[in-house]
This record gives sequence, structure tokens and C-alpha cells, in this order.
Amino acid sequence: MKIVGVAACTAGIAHTYLAKEKLIKGAESLGHQIRVETQGTIGVEEELTADEIKSAELVIIAADVNINGKDRFSDKPVVKVPTHVVIKSPKNLIKNAEKQMRQNQ
Amino acid sequence: MNLSKVMQPEIIDLSLSATNKKEAIEALADLMSTHGYIGSKEQFVADVYERELQGKTGIGDHIAIPHGKSESVIKNAIAIGRLQGEIEWETLDGEPVKVILLFAVKKEDSNTLHIKMLSQVAGALADEAICEQLLHSNNAMAIIDAFQTEYQS
Repeated sequence: MKIVGVAACTAGIAHTYLAKEKLIKGAESLGHQIRVETQGTIGVEEELTADEIKSAELVIIAADVNINGKDRFSDKPVVKVPTHVVIKSPKNLIKNAEKQMRQNQ
Repeated sequence: MNLSKVMQPEIIDLSLSATNKKEAIEALADLMSTHGYIGSKEQFVADVYERELQGKTGIGDHIAIPHGKSESVIKNAIAIGRLQGEIEWETLDGEPVKVILLFAVKKEDSNTLHIKMLSQVAGALADEAICEQLLHSNNAMAIIDAFQTEYQS
């Protein structure tokens, strides 16, 4: 499955980037492809491209604050969770999101 | 890029003595103050606690990453402390904490490079091997090297 994600936290220093790495490790270990954009104190990094969003089957937003550019995902299945959920159990989150997505299909 | 800008053995203490969260944060702030990374220790500790109110900084696996964006910070850096025993902390897995990485971040900074390094260090904590090093290595330089290797990969 192709996944795109956005990570953002309150201070924008630590949790954002830890959540990003956990998402990537979790998704890849489950055999998914993933790209994660970070919105931190130094701004947006690794911004998702329109093509990446278009081909994504699932969007995971791991954020403790409102993210910029939410409208980019308006026609996509979106799972939104606080960063701590991703940091604590990234694989469970992805598995549950996948299950939910299949049920909605 | 070299992580030595933000990680130095002089602010790593692998036998930190503290019996609770407050003592641990104070001890690491003392270390940073002694080596000229922060100005007012009181201000810095207050700013770290400000962040603590916003959510758990214990990320699981006995590691905590308190951080303060503070006007008292002179040089962006990460101090690391490892305790003999474990202390109570607000953690994601409900387990106590043994290793603390205290991030000191300047309030205003035109140079984003250091912040980028700090964020990479935070990201590296997703790696189990790094967490192992933090929990068990007795060599501060080896810990920095492990982060450096992860940073370059």
C-alpha cells in the first residue's frame, strides 16, 4: 500500500521527527511504501508532491497541532492521531487504519 | 555535517545522580550551565517545564526527551544523563525512565542547521540500536558516534 503522512508537534523540535521515523520504520516493516512530510519549527521539510498524494491509498496525519495544507487530502482516506500514538505503536496504528479502510470499501 | 556541534562528551553524564525528575532536569541543566550552553539555569528549567505541561516527553523504552525553547540558551545542544536507577516520569509506555536527553534550543535562531541536527537526533531514537547504546554504553563518544552514523545514513 502507498501511504503519505504528515508529522507535526507543539514545539516542533523532537516529537515531529521521532514520529516521522517511527512511521517510516513501521510502514516499511509491514511492506508498505511511505513518504512523510514534517512541519516543525524550521518549517516544512520533505514536502509531499501532488503526485505522491494522488497515488497514495492512505494518509496518516500524526499531529498535536493543526497542520498546514489539510485540504490536499480532501478526497483521501485520512487517519488523524496525536504524535504519541505513532511513537508508541506505529505498526498497530497502520494495521488498524488498513483494516478500517478495507471495511469502508 | 557534524553532530559535534550539538553533542559533546562534556554534557553527557552516564552516571548522573538524581532520584526524581526534577533533580534529573536540574542536574543536566547544571551541566549545561557549567559548560556555557545556557545562561540562566532557572529560566531554562522553567521553560523546560512549560513544555512538560503540554504532553508526555517519556517516549518509551526508559528514555525521555524533555526540551526547552528558551531565551537562556546560548548554544543549541543536547545533554544526556543516565541514572543508576529508574525514576518516575510521564511516559508513553507507563514505564519509568533511565536515560534523559535534554534538548536546549534557542528561542530565536536564524541558523536552522542546529535545529535540523537536533531534530535528526530525535528521529534517530526510533532506532532500537541507538536506544540500546543509550541504555548500556559506558562511552560518551561511542554514543555520539552512533547518532552520527545514523545521521549520515
